[in-house]
Amino acid sequence: MRRHDAFRLGLAPALIVLAIITIGPALFLVLTSLTPLNLTLPDTAWDFSTPLGNYLDLLDDPRFSRSVWVQVKLSVATVAVQLLMGLGVALLLNGDTPVRRFARSGFLIPMVLPPIVVGIVWRVMYAVDISPFHRFMDWIGLPVGSLITNPDTALMAIVIAESWEWFPFTMLMALAALQMVPAAPVEAARIDGANDWQTFRYVIFPYIQQTMLVAGIFRLIDSIKAFPLIFVLTDGGPGDVTEVTNYYAYRQAFTFSLWGYGSAIATLMVIGIFVLSWAIDRLTRAADAEAG
Amino acid sequence: MQKRADRSARAARRTRNRLRLGDGATLVLLALVLFPFLWLVQMSFRPNTDILGYELAFTPTLAHYRALWTGAFPGSFVNSLVTSTASTALALLIGVPAAYSLSRAGFRSSRSIALWILATRMAPPIAFTIPFFLAYRFLGLSDTRTGLILIYLTFNLALVIWMMKPYFDSVPRELEEAAWIDGCGTWSAFWRVTLPLSSPGLAATAVICFILSWNDFFYALILTRTQASTAPVAIVNFIQYTGWEWGRIAAAGTLVMLPVIAFSILVRNYLVRGLAAGGVKE
Repeated sequence: MRRHDAFRLGLAPALIVLAIITIGPALFLVLTSLTPLNLTLPDTAWDFSTPLGNYLDLLDDPRFSRSVWVQVKLSVATVAVQLLMGLGVALLLNGDTPVRRFARSGFLIPMVLPPIVVGIVWRVMYAVDISPFHRFMDWIGLPVGSLITNPDTALMAIVIAESWEWFPFTMLMALAALQMVPAAPVEAARIDGANDWQTFRYVIFPYIQQTMLVAGIFRLIDSIKAFPLIFVLTDGGPGDVTEVTNYYAYRQAFTFSLWGYGSAIATLMVIGIFVLSWAIDRLTRAADAEAG
Repeated sequence: MQKRADRSARAARRTRNRLRLGDGATLVLLALVLFPFLWLVQMSFRPNTDILGYELAFTPTLAHYRALWTGAFPGSFVNSLVTSTASTALALLIGVPAAYSLSRAGFRSSRSIALWILATRMAPPIAFTIPFFLAYRFLGLSDTRTGLILIYLTFNLALVIWMMKPYFDSVPRELEEAAWIDGCGTWSAFWRVTLPLSSPGLAATAVICFILSWNDFFYALILTRTQASTAPVAIVNFIQYTGWEWGRIAAAGTLVMLPVIAFSILVRNYLVRGLAAGGVKE
């Protein structure tokens, strides 16, 4: 029994600190979202006269609904590209040669770079006057204008940079799963005359689909937090074509000082992410049960 | 007989060619993927007169690095080092005993604690930033290293618990029980027996915490201004003051990523577990 008390003592500090730095702020965030808090107007703190005011305003805020739509486009596109690219590279790296062992470390670089550096790397690539990409396009006779200042291509430019940054994550997970695929069924399929695609689709893929699903979920949830790339490349523009919900909440709170409103958006984001995690948990469990 | 030998030789040759082809494709792809990153590094050594140049042959210069040395950048680099190290140390100090307790005690609430930790991992940083910013104004912690160290605990503490618990699970209990019988207390047995056995995991966890704190941009952007600003924020600051001075920005970017690249090669094999904390089924 004394030992159990010792364990309790070991756990307590972590739980207390975690409560102070997570539950405390969460409650504070929800409370703030129920006030029209604006730091330039001191009376607005703790003014709970219209608790749902911010949320009602959000319903009629076209910029908010546009930001959600931008988010959906960004998330779907980046997750899809990352899954395909990650899986493709993982298949290529799955052989065990010195070259590929070396390449496995090399491909990790984009993911571990500080996000701000990723932003600068791509800012250079997208700067018409100094970018080797633009120079190359000029040289082959297909000059392109700046991708990040053109409303039609700005979001695509973000998708490219974000996918470049995070495909190593899906690649690592796919690679780990591929290395767990047993050799016997793959050989059996080959002997039975299955071609590469058939072997992949019907023998290998069933072994790794669960991992790919989990990898996709992680990227989906993290894509909702995209910030440094947008900050450095487009600042949400041109207009608001790359302004995702996270960025909009940041603007409302830290640029316009509308803390109550920003908190309401952040609260909705938290709820959205938790609902998403819950739905996905259900989904993967169903898939688990199916797989037996 | 002869025919069969021929066929197997052909098959072996085919496999070898395939491998060689795959190796070639791998290298080409790696070069393509890393090109944007390498371009930034070479830009940091290009003299200002030739910063827009494309010729691969140029006389490299350290002028941009020297220019950084005289400005506010070294101070911000120190801030990054101090906050990342302190937050990592603090997270280990509080998180490691908690992970061990969760591993050994079989608390009835273990599952809810695990969910809570996962929720912390999933929550968007903006949800923490708004209340922390308001509270720090009130507490006088804005633009201080202490403030940053505290908010980095929001992700580091959860990560330490999540990563260390499986390591402790894999250390056989019999070893500690033997130490208990020899008269060790619970925590001295942990300190002398279990912790040394989990040291590779501990090192990997520490490195990943350090990388995550070092890479942070969002929290530091909002919670610091001048005194405590970290290296990533310092880069953005001088973009705002002096415009896009490409050479200097490239040099600063190269400096900021150096420690991270060195460290991540060390812990390559643990990265998935750290970054996917909660997703990879043990």
